[in-house]
Amino acid sequence: MIDAKILSVTTFIYLAAFVLYLLRMVSSRDRWGTWGSAMALTGLSAQTAALIMRWITSYRLGIGHAPLSNLYESLIFFSWSITAVYLFFERRTRNGSLGIFVVPIAFLCMAYASLSPNIDSRIQPLIPALQSNWLVSHVVTCFLGYAAFTVAFAAGGMLLLRGFLERGDIPGGPSVAKTGEKRNDKLSSWQDISLRRRFTSLIPSPAALDELIYQSVVLGFVLLAVGIMTGSIWAHYAWGSYWSWDPKETWSLITWLVYAVMLHARYIRDWRERPMAVMAVIGFISVLITYLGVNYLPGLHAYQ
Amino acid sequence: MAKKNSLLSFLASVKLAVALLIVVAAVSILGTLIPQQDASGPFLARMNPGIASVLLILQLDDVFHSAWFAILMALLALNLIVCSLDRFPRAWRRFRQQGDPERRDVFENLPADLILAVDASPAAAAHRIETLLKKRVGSIKRRETGGQTCLFAQKGAFSHLGVFIVHAGVLIMMAGVMAGPFLGFEGHMNIPEGESSAVVALKGKRGFKNLDFAVRCDRFIMDFYDDGTPKTYRSDLTFLEQGREVQTATVLVNHPVSFGGIRFYQASYGTMPTGDPSLEVIRGDRKVMEVKIAAGKTFPLPESKALVQVLRVEDNFMDMGPAVKLNIDAPGGVVQFWVFAAIDRIAAANPGLLEQVPLFNPASFAPYVFSLTKPEIRPYTGLQAVRDPGVPVVALGAAFLMAGLYLVFFRSHRQIWIRLEARAGKTMIRIAGKSSRNQPAMDRELHNLIKAMGFDRKEAS
Ligand code: HEM
Repeated sequence: MIDAKILSVTTFIYLAAFVLYLLRMVSSRDRWGTWGSAMALTGLSAQTAALIMRWITSYRLGIGHAPLSNLYESLIFFSWSITAVYLFFERRTRNGSLGIFVVPIAFLCMAYASLSPNIDSRIQPLIPALQSNWLVSHVVTCFLGYAAFTVAFAAGGMLLLRGFLERGDIPGGPSVAKTGEKRNDKLSSWQDISLRRRFTSLIPSPAALDELIYQSVVLGFVLLAVGIMTGSIWAHYAWGSYWSWDPKETWSLITWLVYAVMLHARYIRDWRERPMAVMAVIGFISVLITYLGVNYLPGLHAYQ
Repeated sequence: MAKKNSLLSFLASVKLAVALLIVVAAVSILGTLIPQQDASGPFLARMNPGIASVLLILQLDDVFHSAWFAILMALLALNLIVCSLDRFPRAWRRFRQQGDPERRDVFENLPADLILAVDASPAAAAHRIETLLKKRVGSIKRRETGGQTCLFAQKGAFSHLGVFIVHAGVLIMMAGVMAGPFLGFEGHMNIPEGESSAVVALKGKRGFKNLDFAVRCDRFIMDFYDDGTPKTYRSDLTFLEQGREVQTATVLVNHPVSFGGIRFYQASYGTMPTGDPSLEVIRGDRKVMEVKIAAGKTFPLPESKALVQVLRVEDNFMDMGPAVKLNIDAPGGVVQFWVFAAIDRIAAANPGLLEQVPLFNPASFAPYVFSLTKPEIRPYTGLQAVRDPGVPVVALGAAFLMAGLYLVFFRSHRQIWIRLEARAGKTMIRIAGKSSRNQPAMDRELHNLIKAMGFDRKEAS
């Protein structure tokens, strides 16, 4: 099927975009980043086309439904959301640094979807429980929310990486203060201090990364709230109970609470930068458990 | 805060809030790792009995309905209420307080690009700016003081209340979630095609509830896709009040039906035997009687002095289907034997069985032969019946939550002050702005505003 072909090509486009973003970082030339985002945008367009085709094909098969109904389709849509939300933030911040963290996640989703032998890529008919108008709004809002959290995770990772690279690189900081052999020891792992500087030269300032973490977490928090609510409405119609403490429901609430803690700590206790970055990483782990981890626990939501 | 209020200030603290949210999250993780409710039985059976009893005492087999989870929720609610009451008056003042058009402090350290000097007269410039602000911001105030014209415009003061609306939403939702199970019920009814029922088996084996109307299942239909995946489960129902048909309805998965304040959901299906089994007594080639039976029932055997007692009624005895055990008390002695519904098939599969095992021979009390008629197997529909008065409350809370989040994150209180004064034949315009959330965006807006004013930039000194 043509849509599957396009999707496997998209996988490689995302890989290429990742390589370009990596080149940007290594060479500290922003031009590579521009090519990287052009490549990511190409991948996104191709993926959009493939999703639409898949949708149309499902109607031709007489089992028409949006391509959001099984693990394969959800991975494809997750990867789509990640790229879309990332490019949105890249455009806003005019900085392509996060590409090297975000785009590989989009790539891994695609690769997992197409390579894992346990994942069925056929278009399957909808079982009765999934035949609901709420399916689309629930899945779309949840995944856009997860994608926003992915961007926050990448910004957090970047902030932590920057901190790691700069440790000892501050004038008057430990490594400059140290002399002789000890200093050479340190340098042997990082051949040249200027190389480290070059790595960090294109990374936005910690304050800018912090702002980006905050903005993407706010977006994700609101989208996940909508996602949980549409899910509850759906459950209300499908199972007669808007909330059953099923593991997936519970984990989505846990994820939401992690980010609620993060927003409160920032607002009231003035957490900035490092603790925000650590929370963004914890939140993202929680997202992954919500999305994939709970499939190993029993419940209504498990993807087949 | 005074010492005596230390409990209050603890309850109002966001530290407590953050701690509680973390505890709720941690407890929820436990609730997903330990199998809950019905699933906990096999899990606990595999555990060391000591640990299992500790889990049971701590109600870890049903975390989300445990007493201490309710206490945790109550504490969170209390925290939220005290904290909001503590902070609301100040926020209300900030909301009510009309911005002061004559405020001076906002112009301190004003960057040069927010100060213009233009040729237009103060009155003309003020008029132009006023028209512009009216279009862009809305409400506007104007004051003349000591040769200066002060303009002030603001928007979104309401966003100061957003956080309270979010928290009110959380509280309302919690109230609805907690109240629902007390005021409503949730249960199940299995109704065979053609039968009606007015009894709901409550969830968690909490007994039964009688409805004041009956539900009849007229038809249960399943439909499949070509590849065998289920496509539709559908029940055609009729609701009866005092035996009178009141309403017919179709229930599908995702399309429940409401009647008498109770919602009915398509939840499951299956087949079940309907009606009581009955026992036929044959003598020679004549049926001498037929009785509905139930365990313990005793009846005299016609044309004899014997008394028959039904000792046991089994749906599936020794994997050979429905069977009853009879005790026949006759003047000649007592005989006990089993009567299988499927005796013909059993006898054919085990030649000689009846002769060797009189206990299984339905003709053990000659000259009578007993035969058990199988109850009829009919498809049934499994309906979930729910009444949850908490639902509209939770929905209201959710609406509050969303509206509040919108105000908190996507609205901000934006205020713009502009001062005009004549100086050396020119008009000095100073522009200042504050945003409660996003100052960089406000700075951009001020620059856009200056551009939109359309004064020739070169005149600025
Ligand atoms: C699930 C529960 C809760 C949710 C969803 C929630 C949500 C929020 C949100 C979205 C904000 C705005 C943060 C920002 O502007 O970045 C906020 C602020 C705040 N929250 Fe909560 N909250 C919850 C529980 C609590 C609790 C239990 C307290 C108890 C003290 C609390 C106290 C506060 C305070 C004091 C603020 C700052 C308000 C201000 O000064 O403007 N929250 N909350």
